[in-house]
Amino acid sequence: MTEPKGQEAGSPAPVQGGGARVEARGLTRRFGPLVAVDDLSLTIAPGEALGLLGANGAGKTTFIRLVTGVLLPSGGDVLVDGHSPVRAPAEVCKRLGFVAETSRIYPDLRVRSFLRFAGGARDLAGAELERAVDATIERFHLEEVAKRWVGQLSKGYQQRVSLAQGFLHDPPLMIVDEPTSGLDPLQQEEVRAVLRELRGERTLILCTHDLSEARDLTERAAVLHRGRLVAHGPTSEVLGGADSLALFRGEAE
Amino acid sequence: MIRFLALVRKELLVLFASPLAYIVLALVVLVAGLLFFDHLRAYNQILFLFQTSTMGGFESGTIPDHVNLRETVFFPVMENLGFILIGLIPMITMRVFAEERSRGTDEILLTTRLSPGQIVAGKFLVTYGFVVLAMLASFVYPAMAILQGGIGVQHLSSVFFGLSLLAISLASIGLVCSAFTSSQFMAVVASWALCFVLWDWSWLTPFLRDAESLARFVDAISIHPRYSVFAEGVVRLEDLIYFLGVCLVSYALARFALDWRRVAG
Repeated sequence: MTEPKGQEAGSPAPVQGGGARVEARGLTRRFGPLVAVDDLSLTIAPGEALGLLGANGAGKTTFIRLVTGVLLPSGGDVLVDGHSPVRAPAEVCKRLGFVAETSRIYPDLRVRSFLRFAGGARDLAGAELERAVDATIERFHLEEVAKRWVGQLSKGYQQRVSLAQGFLHDPPLMIVDEPTSGLDPLQQEEVRAVLRELRGERTLILCTHDLSEARDLTERAAVLHRGRLVAHGPTSEVLGGADSLALFRGEAE
Repeated sequence: MIRFLALVRKELLVLFASPLAYIVLALVVLVAGLLFFDHLRAYNQILFLFQTSTMGGFESGTIPDHVNLRETVFFPVMENLGFILIGLIPMITMRVFAEERSRGTDEILLTTRLSPGQIVAGKFLVTYGFVVLAMLASFVYPAMAILQGGIGVQHLSSVFFGLSLLAISLASIGLVCSAFTSSQFMAVVASWALCFVLWDWSWLTPFLRDAESLARFVDAISIHPRYSVFAEGVVRLEDLIYFLGVCLVSYALARFALDWRRVAG
C-alpha cells in the first residue's frame, strides 16, 4: 500500500469512461526553505476518482495548484492528457473544471450571471451557452436561486453554484478542493449527493481531509504527509487499517 | 474574443454591483461641480469689482483681457480637478486585482480559458471605460458654460482628451498597485503615493542646472506638465506617446504581477 518516495505510485485503475489522464513526475514545489510538495510521482487514470488526503499543510492544495497551473513547480512536471500546465496552459484549462472552497466565488453576481461568465470564459456563447447554463441549473437544482445574488445564498447553495461553474463545460478532469468544508451535515450530504451523481463520468480529484467523504466518493486514495506521498491505492485498502489516522501523521512510512 | 467579452461583462457587473463605483462617480461630479461654481462665483466677483471700481490701474468698467471664463474659470478648474483625481481614482482601482486575490477568485479566473494577458487587458479596459465615463460626467457643467464663453469645440475636445488621458494614466498606476497585493488598503495607499510622486517634478529642475540630463528626465516623467499642454488646446505626439507609455508599462507590470504569483505562490 505504501509507496516509496519519488517512484511511480500504484498502477492506474481501469478506465471507466471519459476522463483525462493526470501524471505527476518528481513534482516538487518549494516556498523558500519549506518543501510543500516533495518529489511526488502519481498517475491518475482517465475516469478515476481519486481522494487526495492529508492533514492541513500536507501539500494537497499545493498539488492541486500545480495541476491547475496556478503555481509553477520548482522541479519535476505534471501532465494532463500529455499537456503541461506550464508549457500549454490553454490545453490544460480546456480539460479542467476547478471547484475551490465555498468562499471563492463572486458574491456580487447573480447565480445565472456567474454561470454565464463561467461558460463564456470557457468559450461557450449564444444559444450553446444558454443551453449549458439552463442544463447546469437544472442538474444542480439551482432553479429557485438562479436570480439571486451569490453572496446571499446559504453556504450549501454557494458550494452547489461553485460545483456548477466547474461542471458547466463538461470537462474531462474535475478538481474539487474541500467541497464540504464549513458546511453543516445536511449541506454536506447535499454536496456529496451531487458529487456521487457525477462520479465516474470523468476523472475526479477530490481534495479532502474527511475520511468518510473519501470512502464514500472515491475508489482510490493518495495520502500526503509533509508534501510526500505516503500511501496510494484503492481507498478501501488505504483507509481500511485499524488506525487510518496514522497515515495523516505520516506513520505509514 | 468570447472569453474576453465574458470577462468584460463580469467586470462591469462586479464594478456596478459595488456602491463604491457610484460613490466615486458622485464624488467626481460633486467635486467638479463645486470647483466650477466656486471659480464661477469668484469670476463674477472679479467682474463686478472691475466694473464698479478702479483696480490694478484699470479704469472703472474696463475688464482686462486675462479676466475671462477660459482663464479665470475653465483652466483653474481643470488644473484642480486633475490633482483631485489622484485622491479619487485609486479608490476605484484598489479592488480590481486585490479583491480577487483576497477572495481567492483569481484561481477561478486562472483556471478558465482566459489567458493572464486577457485577464489584465479586460480589467484595464473596464476601469478605463469607467474613469472616462466619470470624466464625461464631471465635464458637463464647465463645458456647457465655456462653450457659451467663446472657447471652441476643438479646444474643448483637446482638454477633455487630456483629462481622460490623465485619468486613464492614474488608473493604470492604481491598477498596478492593486495587482501586486491582496490588500485593498495597501493598494490605495501605494497608488496615492505613486501618483503624488509622479505628479510634478518640474519644481526640481531649477535646482538641477548642473545635471541637465537628470533635469530633463525628472521633467519627462512628470504627469502634470503633459496634462497642462492639453489644457492649452494643444495635442502633441510626444504627450500622447507618454500617456500611451504609462498604460503599456502598467499593463506589462500588472501582467508580470500575475505571472510572479505563479512563481512566488
